[in-house]
Amino acid sequence: MSLTKRIDDLSSRRDIRSGWFGIITFFFLAFIILPTVYVLIYGITDFQNLSDTVLDDPETMSLIWGAVFTSFSLALLVTIIDLIVGVPMAWIMVRKEFRGKKLLDTLIDMPLAFPTAALGFSIGIFWGLPIDAPVPPGALGIIASPYILIMLLHIIFTYPYMVRSLSAILEQIDQSYEEAGMTLGASRMTAARTITLPLFRAGLITGFILCFARSLSETGGTFIALITIGQADKFFTGPTLIAWFKRSTLAPEEVEAILAVVSIILIVTAIIFLLIIKFVLGRINVPFDKVWPRWERVLSRGMVPKAKDAISFVWLFAIVIIPSFFIFAYLLVPSPAEMDWSGLINALSFSFMVAGVVTLADIVLGVPMGLYIARHRDKKLAQIIDSLVNIPLIVPTTALGFSLALFWTSQDLVTNITFLVIMAHIAFTYPLVVRNVAGAVMEVDPSYEEAARTLGAKPFATFRTVLLPIVRSAVLAGAILAFTRSLGETGATVAVSSEANTVPVYIVNLMNSGDYYLAAVSAMVLIMVSFVFMFALRYTIRRDGGGY
Amino acid sequence: MPRISLQKVTMRFGDIYAVRDIDLVIKDGEYLTILGPSGCGKTSLIKVISGLWTPSEGRVLIDGEDVTDVPIEDRQVGYVFQNIALFPHMKVAKNVSFGPRMQGKTTEEGKEIADRFLKLVNMLDRLNMFPGELSGGEQQKVAIARAMASGARLLLLDEPLSALDARVRMDLRYEIRRLVKELGITVIHVTHDQDEAMSVSDRIVVMRNGSIVESDSPMRLYRRPNNLFTAYFIGETNLLEGMVSDKDDRNILVKLRDGTDIKVGGNRHFNINDAIVLSVRPEYVYPAKEGLSAKVVQVIYMGSYWRVVTRAKSEDIVEYNIPKHHEPPAIGQELELVFNRKMSMVYRRPKEGISEAVRLE
Amino acid sequence: MTVVELKGLSKRYGSTVAADSMDLKVEEGEYMCILGPTGAGKTTALKMVAGLIDPDSGQILFDGKDYTKVEPESREAAMLSQVYSLFPHMDVNGNVIYGPRIRGWDVQESQDIVDNMLEMVHLNRRKDAFPCELSGGMQQRTALARALASGSKVILLDEPLRALDARLRIELRREIRSLVKAMGITAIHVTHDQEEAMVIADRVAVMRYGKVVQVGTPKEVFDTPVSPFVANFVGQSNFFTGKLVSNGDYSVVENDMGINVKARPCQLPIGSEVVVAIKVGNTQLRTEEGFLIGRVERILYEGVTIHVDVMANGKLFSAKLPNRKYEEFSPGDEVVVGWSADEATVFPMPEQGLEEELRLE
Repeated sequence: MSLTKRIDDLSSRRDIRSGWFGIITFFFLAFIILPTVYVLIYGITDFQNLSDTVLDDPETMSLIWGAVFTSFSLALLVTIIDLIVGVPMAWIMVRKEFRGKKLLDTLIDMPLAFPTAALGFSIGIFWGLPIDAPVPPGALGIIASPYILIMLLHIIFTYPYMVRSLSAILEQIDQSYEEAGMTLGASRMTAARTITLPLFRAGLITGFILCFARSLSETGGTFIALITIGQADKFFTGPTLIAWFKRSTLAPEEVEAILAVVSIILIVTAIIFLLIIKFVLGRINVPFDKVWPRWERVLSRGMVPKAKDAISFVWLFAIVIIPSFFIFAYLLVPSPAEMDWSGLINALSFSFMVAGVVTLADIVLGVPMGLYIARHRDKKLAQIIDSLVNIPLIVPTTALGFSLALFWTSQDLVTNITFLVIMAHIAFTYPLVVRNVAGAVMEVDPSYEEAARTLGAKPFATFRTVLLPIVRSAVLAGAILAFTRSLGETGATVAVSSEANTVPVYIVNLMNSGDYYLAAVSAMVLIMVSFVFMFALRYTIRRDGGGY
Repeated sequence: MPRISLQKVTMRFGDIYAVRDIDLVIKDGEYLTILGPSGCGKTSLIKVISGLWTPSEGRVLIDGEDVTDVPIEDRQVGYVFQNIALFPHMKVAKNVSFGPRMQGKTTEEGKEIADRFLKLVNMLDRLNMFPGELSGGEQQKVAIARAMASGARLLLLDEPLSALDARVRMDLRYEIRRLVKELGITVIHVTHDQDEAMSVSDRIVVMRNGSIVESDSPMRLYRRPNNLFTAYFIGETNLLEGMVSDKDDRNILVKLRDGTDIKVGGNRHFNINDAIVLSVRPEYVYPAKEGLSAKVVQVIYMGSYWRVVTRAKSEDIVEYNIPKHHEPPAIGQELELVFNRKMSMVYRRPKEGISEAVRLE
Repeated sequence: MTVVELKGLSKRYGSTVAADSMDLKVEEGEYMCILGPTGAGKTTALKMVAGLIDPDSGQILFDGKDYTKVEPESREAAMLSQVYSLFPHMDVNGNVIYGPRIRGWDVQESQDIVDNMLEMVHLNRRKDAFPCELSGGMQQRTALARALASGSKVILLDEPLRALDARLRIELRREIRSLVKAMGITAIHVTHDQEEAMVIADRVAVMRYGKVVQVGTPKEVFDTPVSPFVANFVGQSNFFTGKLVSNGDYSVVENDMGINVKARPCQLPIGSEVVVAIKVGNTQLRTEEGFLIGRVERILYEGVTIHVDVMANGKLFSAKLPNRKYEEFSPGDEVVVGWSADEATVFPMPEQGLEEELRLE
């Protein structure tokens, strides 16, 4: 009897199915959720220690609160700006048909393929005033404020999240609502504002949370941009503070205590803040009722809509695309005579190994979880897991990495750095796979599986032969997303250990030692690798999409 | 009340014609139904009339005024969607007063209008409910009230009943007709359901492959369809292949495949040896002492009559109705059938074959 | 060949009752239709038979054996859903051979079965087509072939015709019945369309609120309904309310207009509040004298029948008459509404009131 046949038969037994699901849930709770929030437990049990070393030290505390405040205000500002420019762009992507739409679609996703470490460098030299990095021709060099520079950086990599989540919801809102409004005498703008926007709320909230969490959690890009303009030890966000302390020369116990406090504050405030957003945004009653027929009619016709579309495009190119690609201008800078490639190769192979293992684990353990969530939405347990899955997405990755390392090393469970890095990367990429799979499976009518079952297929055979082929591209998309995220992550890696040598960490180290040229080359290599994966992804999805 | 006229309207998507060269005039206060199978272009046509789409070629006139380029919100047409499309976040009253408010009426005026139209459709007690709390039939009634409350001079119904249960559909179609006739507005109704079209319309336009096949009153289309497709599509009919074997100044004689001769009134424009199709509806087929020999294959109780399905010696399936009080024949029984001479229709046999000529999709 | 039995099946979702100790027995090789309005629990019942939903209590028996806990893949009951659920990544052949393949049958043998099946549904030439390339009717037939090729002893059809055009439904329901009958397997078919149920089924089970209200042949359910709801749901009815005056060869009911009407005998006590139902198809319009005089409101030509609405004593009556009577009436005519006593059925007044009893949604 072949292996698949044997699994098919086993899957027919209810007790085996529950057992398998129990294992998956255990892994999720014990290896992902618990380590992610372990620092909170640590904070309670070691409160006295923290209080003595950190909480009672006003100087350190003011540094911490300042950094956390900067993080939150930045994230809020970035998200609001994204929202304002994201809504018209999502509208263009969903409701309009034009030549070159596919290209635009790819361009919007571009920043997802850019490792943030590379982005930070690119932004730093394009907008900022680098202290000693060589500046390629074409750089603007007009922004001295680190705050505005970081804001510009965060806008770039959060932009696709906003546009994507808005267009996903917009696509689900039947256009006939708007059409109905128009047959009743509403102008295009009135119809969109009074009918579609209120239905849109769910998309706004998801987009808001995704952007906010992503901005809050960013470490590598921020840190590198700050290094470029020589502000890394003067201007802090929450995550860069952790990275900075991790490299400091203070006593290890003291560093641990400080990091624990920063992590706890970041995690708790992030969760509270996001709950508030969810609650408040869900309830705000914007005065959608009022109409100004004449004015809105004027705004719906002629130049106004065209100008709005033009601004969306200009924003995409001037703020998002050109600054991101500016790093390639480094190819115009004369290279130093000698270059040592061995460091980059070592870092690359380590990064690939980590990303590979992480992706594999995500698929094996994440696909069944996504499936369970999607197919048992009426069950309490599935709903709870569904919300728990989001936690690693909300928690800033630096705090996550620190908490996770603390968990594993606290009882001397494991101290192997490679293992810790892998576990940390699994923690923040796992939700990506689960979300993708769950989302895709929810779209698939359960009657496919039901039909297969009544035709004699065992549960696992049904999954193998019917469901998996249908959602294959979503699984792949999740896997590639996880892979590139792992490849580009800085914060979590640094927080686990300052010795783990992934490519982004390698870039940070190069920049700290002033080796800007090699850093730029490494960043470009990382970008190219990510691009290859992203295009592979788009290719498979497009090919699949044609099938049915 | 508006008079609508379409002049050479064509809607093209790339190389594909959704509708082609449609000329159609709709009279004041007429209830017109556009009937056809899926993909015949009926929805494209109604979207062009509403202004949701601009035709690739041709003009749309309302009361003699060219509205081809007038945007939809200024056309004053009420549109009722197949998926109902009530705004899910607004209560019933708000939905219905949406149109008036868009025209700059005050909230009070809007409310008054909403009350008036909800009363017309007997939904006044649902005023403060959300669409999700109503049943499908109730939702569609509210949607109709909403469309009319916007002051529409023309009501467009785009398969308004197809999302509902069969039994609800039946009640609602009578109600819709009663309502619009009371208000005297012009209606264009699109459907694929011939029963529905028959019960509501003053006139039916039969469409197929983007063109109009024919248009007439329900009774004329049922009794005297000009076209084989119409005969098959509207109501049920028996189609028998044959050949004109003789003619005199009143009748023609049709020879079926087994050699049986059937006499059919009129149709003197056919010549001897023309290949034809004979169409006769089941209620005009009667058992008799002598006629077309047939064998009973199935007997179905239809409520108000029995339907007997037979296979004739000519290899055609022939069905006929007998009153419910009569004893139906046993399965396998052999009998002879005759056709009502006046109610039999004859068509030239299509080159592509009968099944292709009446293909539904 | 399997006898399927549902015994005291119950299923709740929160506060909604989908099945309320439901009983039904389907005989070997029988074609059973479960007929009811949306939300009656028809699909839940079907899915419980398939094993896709676990009942809260009760039993499902196949040939007398308890199958309640058996996994769906071992029940040999293939289901056909209203969206067909053809696997989008497999062509027609791949879909139809899915059942035999997954059961591990001999490859050549399986292919023979599939070829045979595709021949029967006229799709042998579209073997390599993917579901998205097929028309609705072809998809439907592929799904049917897939269910029949899987070697199942029971076929479960969940509104298999809902997504199709009205005219195509008429064509396909015949085809489905004859195929299922040719295979000789037991069939349970769920629908909300009473005409479809009458034409396709050996027996009809009318469902409402999770319970089977009546089971019988189409003729039994149509002619001798057990409740006002069934009388109105299976073919429309006109209703009277009144008091039972006497009971004998006929029952006599004094209606709310103070007139005595005759109806079929009943078992109710004299003086009780009753409802009298007369099918619209059995309602006659005469010109001679009678007690219920009204005015013709409108006449609709619907094909085989005409639909006449008559306003009498402030109440609306409908009658369906043979189409040859179309010329006999015109709006405004004075007519007498009547019926023969053995076409009128007497029911006790429902506790929740007549209007609630007749609700369709």
